[in-house]
Amino acid sequence: MSAQVDVPARLAGRVPPEVVAVVRGVVDSAAARGLPVEPLVQKALEGGAKGVPAERVIAAVRALAGELDASAGALRSAGLAAPDGDAIEAGAFALTAGLQEGQVRELAHASRTPVGPAATLRVAATLAALGVPAKETVKLVRRTIEAGRAAIDLLDLPDRVESEIARGATPAQAAAGLARAAAHLPVGPPDVPPGRERSRKP
Amino acid sequence: MTREFHPLVKRLLDGELTLGDLPLELRREGEEALRLLAPLDRAPVTLSPALDARVMATLRRRAGSPATVRESFRARRVWRWISAPRDVEIRLRVRPWAVGALAAAAVLATLVLGRSSAPPVGDAVAAFGSTRPGVLVRFVLYAPGARRVAIAGTFNQWDREATPLAPAGRTGVWTTTLALAPGQHQYAFVVDGARWVPDPAAPAVDDGFGRRNSVVAIAGPGGRAL
Repeated sequence: MSAQVDVPARLAGRVPPEVVAVVRGVVDSAAARGLPVEPLVQKALEGGAKGVPAERVIAAVRALAGELDASAGALRSAGLAAPDGDAIEAGAFALTAGLQEGQVRELAHASRTPVGPAATLRVAATLAALGVPAKETVKLVRRTIEAGRAAIDLLDLPDRVESEIARGATPAQAAAGLARAAAHLPVGPPDVPPGRERSRKP
Repeated sequence: MTREFHPLVKRLLDGELTLGDLPLELRREGEEALRLLAPLDRAPVTLSPALDARVMATLRRRAGSPATVRESFRARRVWRWISAPRDVEIRLRVRPWAVGALAAAAVLATLVLGRSSAPPVGDAVAAFGSTRPGVLVRFVLYAPGARRVAIAGTFNQWDREATPLAPAGRTGVWTTTLALAPGQHQYAFVVDGARWVPDPAAPAVDDGFGRRNSVVAIAGPGGRAL
């Protein structure tokens, strides 16, 4: 996997040489463990662009590698034998946004098709990034899934939380209200292609 | 200096809400935002899928006034006439050689037009060399007094120069629209080449360097900006 990312070429001129050497090692090690490595390169590029001192860039890249590791572990313990890079990245995003490893595992385990663990974790991470406490985030996402709501309802959650916040609710109140509603609203009929329900001939 | 619009006002600017949908205390801010963005409205726009619902809602509101009942009723009948599905039967008398010629012309037209047509918006090819399909996302920053605004993030290798925003006249509003690939993206605006500013309208996470990054995720079947 590391062969796909030429770390020195990507980072040359963007970060100090000592950062390139360390990031290369971190990337190789991560690739050997089956982790996605692009986020690590991106974190180094970000540090360089922001003019962050070398030691802080290195620390941030190492911390992110730890989150990717933790995410992969949580997904495996949720029953995904070989989680793909997309799901691992989404789990790390959720950890960065404030969820705990156990909560990532819980959400990955609760996720269902067609949304899947990666999108479920991204919804949760976005909610947490909006300021919803991790516990409320997990409750809202789980209730929405368990109530059998459509995929669009799950993907709509960040927008709906933002709307409630705009009306004066705190992020926690917004999430709690939507979680209650998700559990009580009737589930809509299955999607029917337009016009299908109409009889063609009298 | 940057200015943060209320999230509901942002939805107004995106066409998801009307001024009438805003709470009273936000209407003045909404009107000001619309005034500032007026020059942008000269650009071509795509009609919102919710347009039908909004048109019908407007007609229903107007129907409440006795003076406009007849007008509204007529409009509703016209709307029903336009939108109701109908069975259409077309009878043609053609000679067999004409059918063959038409089919050949259709194949030729498909080949010629197929080469020159641009990809549809929903399947827009992501920028920055990626061949993955992307979702168009519009970024807006109100930064009066700024000489230059750019956006840098995981979608452009955190390049501070690669993706400038365009000013909307002298209103202080800067915008750009990018095709983003599925996944989560972190970003920030760069004002005058040096000042990193998170998007006031987007969720944010710790960047690991003591600042905040804005986040946008493209997720779900078909791709959707969260």
